[in-house]
Amino acid sequence: MSAHLEIRNLSVAFRDHAEERLLLDDITLELGRGEFLGLVGESGSGKSLLCRTVIGLLPSRRLHVTQGSVRLDETEILGREDCIRGRRIGMIFQNPTSHLDPVMTIGKQICEGLALHKGLGPAAARTEATQLLRQVGFPDPERSFSAYAHEFSGGMRQRAMIAIALSCDPEILIADEPTTALDVTIQAQILRLLQDLRAARGLSIILITHDLGVVAQTCDRIAVMRQGRIVEHGEKRALLAAPVHPYTQQLIASHPSLSHAGTEPVRHKHDRSPVFEITDLDVTFPQGGGLLMKRRGFRALKAVSLKIWPGETLGVVGESGSGKSTLARTILGLNPASAGRILFEGHDLTATSAQLRRAGLDRLRTGAAMVFQDPFNALNPRLTVGETLAEVLRHRGETPPAEIENRAGELLDMVGLDRAFAPRLPRSLSGGQCQRAGIARALAVNPRVIIADECVAALDVTIQAQIVALFRELTEKTGLTLIFIAHDLAIVRNLCERVVVMHHGEIVEDGPSARVFARPEKPYTAALIAAIPDIDPDRPINGGIPFPSQQEFAT
Amino acid sequence: MTRPAHPPLRPRLSLGLRFARRPMLATGLCILGAFVLMAVFAPVVAPYDPILQNGDITLLPPSLAHPFGTDNFGRDLLSRVIWGARIDLQIAVIGVVFPFLIGTVAGTVAGFFGGWVDASLMRLIDVVLAFPFLVLMLSIITILGPGLGSFYIAMALVGWVSYARLIRAQILVLKTQDFAVAAQSLGFSRLRIMFRHLLPNALAGSLVFVMSDAVLVLLNGASISYLGLGVQPPLAEWGVMVFEGQGFLNQAWWITLFPGLAIVVLAFGFSLTGDALADLLGVKE
Amino acid sequence: MHRYRFVLFRPLQLVPVLFGISVITFLLVRLIPGDPARILLGTRATPSALANIRTQYGLDEPVWLQYFYFLKNLGAGEMGRSTLYKVDVLKLITTRIEPTLALVGMGVFLALLIAVPFAALSARRQGSLVDHAVRLVSTAGLGFPSFWLGAMLIIFFAVRLEWLPVSGYGETFREKLSHLILPGLTIALSLSAVLTRTLRAAMIAGLASDVATAARARGMPESRVFWRHVVPNALVPTVNLLAVNIGWLIGGTVVVESVFAIAGLGQLMVRGIFTRDYMVVQGVTMTFALATVLINFAADIITVTLDPRIKL
Repeated sequence: MSAHLEIRNLSVAFRDHAEERLLLDDITLELGRGEFLGLVGESGSGKSLLCRTVIGLLPSRRLHVTQGSVRLDETEILGREDCIRGRRIGMIFQNPTSHLDPVMTIGKQICEGLALHKGLGPAAARTEATQLLRQVGFPDPERSFSAYAHEFSGGMRQRAMIAIALSCDPEILIADEPTTALDVTIQAQILRLLQDLRAARGLSIILITHDLGVVAQTCDRIAVMRQGRIVEHGEKRALLAAPVHPYTQQLIASHPSLSHAGTEPVRHKHDRSPVFEITDLDVTFPQGGGLLMKRRGFRALKAVSLKIWPGETLGVVGESGSGKSTLARTILGLNPASAGRILFEGHDLTATSAQLRRAGLDRLRTGAAMVFQDPFNALNPRLTVGETLAEVLRHRGETPPAEIENRAGELLDMVGLDRAFAPRLPRSLSGGQCQRAGIARALAVNPRVIIADECVAALDVTIQAQIVALFRELTEKTGLTLIFIAHDLAIVRNLCERVVVMHHGEIVEDGPSARVFARPEKPYTAALIAAIPDIDPDRPINGGIPFPSQQEFAT
Repeated sequence: MTRPAHPPLRPRLSLGLRFARRPMLATGLCILGAFVLMAVFAPVVAPYDPILQNGDITLLPPSLAHPFGTDNFGRDLLSRVIWGARIDLQIAVIGVVFPFLIGTVAGTVAGFFGGWVDASLMRLIDVVLAFPFLVLMLSIITILGPGLGSFYIAMALVGWVSYARLIRAQILVLKTQDFAVAAQSLGFSRLRIMFRHLLPNALAGSLVFVMSDAVLVLLNGASISYLGLGVQPPLAEWGVMVFEGQGFLNQAWWITLFPGLAIVVLAFGFSLTGDALADLLGVKE
Repeated sequence: MHRYRFVLFRPLQLVPVLFGISVITFLLVRLIPGDPARILLGTRATPSALANIRTQYGLDEPVWLQYFYFLKNLGAGEMGRSTLYKVDVLKLITTRIEPTLALVGMGVFLALLIAVPFAALSARRQGSLVDHAVRLVSTAGLGFPSFWLGAMLIIFFAVRLEWLPVSGYGETFREKLSHLILPGLTIALSLSAVLTRTLRAAMIAGLASDVATAARARGMPESRVFWRHVVPNALVPTVNLLAVNIGWLIGGTVVVESVFAIAGLGQLMVRGIFTRDYMVVQGVTMTFALATVLINFAADIITVTLDPRIKL
């Protein structure tokens, strides 16, 4: 059987005045008819660029194809992408919100493709569009036809984007990180949809992702990219079982789902008093309202009670909107609590007396520090790494002024960042380096507790693994209490000895990681765990559990 | 060379190199510099007295002796344009500085503290913005009487609004950024967060705005003088000069053309510098 | 249709602004040093007229009561009398409003006519010679003083070429139109500089946006991507910009009316300032402020229509 899409010796270079840099280096790849190919790599590996090159949408004018050929059904398409784009090769993207036209209805965007590629008239196009919307899982396609993108949830927007891509009736679908912005349970649904569509329409699919777990469960073959090269490709079982290239091995080792060992059982002693004692905590955000409208509240946290013990590594997991970040910010005194009590080392942060509250906050500020999600956003862009650390040290007043530079250096050593980074501004650092600087800043407080809010979510898998290792080392060495908030259950399973599962502002389950992940007590926890993409290729999507029907549909 | 044991906390930036690569910034700054020099050295540079009348040489077209021609009072227009730089530059600078200072403080405080401080300031801003800018300026000048002093006061009373809005909007965004939350979680004082962490990041935008505002202030000052309510004749101010040329449009176009061109070129200098700064500081308008 | 519910509520939210406008216009006259009755009526007023105005405006009462008298009179459509024209200010304003409105309309129309094509041309050929030229001219255009630009247009089109009248307004529609072209162009050229820059930036952002990439990936031709996906998304910022600039635009008419001797509201105001006809200055100021508020309200409605995401 001949290949459906065949890429031979393709190279793309960035050319700027004197400089020429190779971004895609001699890529050779095949996609069989009806095949589901996974293209895996970290940011900057060139996986998206490769697909953009295939459909002739190079993101910059400074990029040029320097050699190679791309053949579709044995016909060269390089330089003639206009004829195949959309019509024969469709594409969907990571962020459906920014890729859907916000001021055009979903239906119109589908009809646009139908009119252009199939020459359908308005009435026929409408019928066909409704059909497509039904096929991708819209429960009320008639109504959704005349709705705008912002009226749907993230998962439905991604379905809409798929419908729009299908409107051109392509033979090949390229999906560029289609589920990265979505919650795990929704991710599983979208992956299932892609598989169903392949079966129903005979599509060949290229799935670009950074998550080896996603491809392991959906694809037939895997290609691993790094620095513009395909380092390894082959049938997925063979590749996962016996990776040849060291990078593939590293990638597989970094994948959080692999170490089923989990962490050792709880070792803290309950005879000491808890670091945090949270009782019936309620947080309500004012929402809407105004001059003549009734003010409504959004309850982000509902009667949350939790004790956190010294030296514990606690993972807080949940999907977006579960209230896990609100919990972190509230116990750090950054959000007012609407009701309930928070004790930090016995001091009441929610006391009615301003003086007591002040005293509690003062103690909190010297005993707890936070690490944030977006590493670039978390550091003041106008201060160098050294200045940021020095400011905290000076503010804490424990380090003599003459010692501050030295101490800043020590902190950088602790987080594995070279001292030469001290005079650099955050924008000149990579994401991982920035995050290390952020952790150094938290350590500068000399805290007893660190609260890390989704602090690895924005990082590549291998960097994620490094940061997680750093946290493990820090907690083991210093006896630090760590509250680790994440949507990624697999990472929490690796790092934390205890896990708290949140859903709609409530704690659904709380227990030792090993127990919770092995024998979840609540159906929600079970569903969440089932949806984790696993690197085991024989495990079906969503652990084979059928999906609840369209409950995420929003109006 | 050996590396110091502790690298400095902030590296030295080679500013010269950064400017050399930006022709827009270089051109803008050159224009502004030229006008500043012209204003400072007006008595040396200007070939004739800008105010002294000479009945023998009225309405002469541009020539070698009088490159910009003469007006109906026989004054050399080149000399008047050069002297005009003194007044018009002063208008642009003073007319920007006070609104900038007032607006920055008001906007920072409102954005940072929120609540009723913010709400009442915003209502005040809404009211001021409900009036067309020039109309409110004219109204204030009606109360204070015509003159340059009145213009500056009116400018300060009205102009701060745009800075306050701009800075406030920036502070509101910055306040929710993680680094500001981090500063808060580290227990830094409010003043420290406001002036060390938020304001420096908000200022980039308003620095760019200062340049485009200088253009507006310049145009406004000249317009008000043109209407006869600002700088008074016989002082050489470009707006006044255009007004003086108005009666001679069909016989002596040069009286109108050159002072107006001076405004256009100076404004162009400000705009170019502003655009280049926006580029340099990564500010989006 | 609940998205348009703000049309009903917004006027209520405008109450504080209207209150502020009334206070400022009230203070405008009261802050002028001297006997307010004489300030309102001019120096040659008769004693009986002075006494009348004192009772009508409560000028012997405390200031806050005077403000209520002022509001009461305003409610009755009473804005005082012009000392120069010897007619009611309200009547004077209604006769002068047409040329100003026509001028603003002409200005905006011509500005869009200039800005949209140039911005589109420039954005679609970013980095080309045309683009550089458009950028250069629009940047320089930001600094064109309208009084000078108007004079230059007069010299060229009216004095040299004699195509169009030098100044005035005219009686018939044709006359008015020909008298409006140069002043309208003066306003339009200044406005189009700002508009072109904003539109160009919005279009360039739109062409590089994910929406455009997605449309191209579906095989849409470039012109369709531009006109169906980029332009509609660039319209919202443009309308907002126009709304923000409307105050500036109205201020511009004050100057332009003076240059072209058009008997509109702006000219009325300037003349009022010179002749100490304070009731007229007060009335025109208030009219301009109300117009600004109304136009911004209209812009809100347009924005909501253009962008389904916006809720007010």
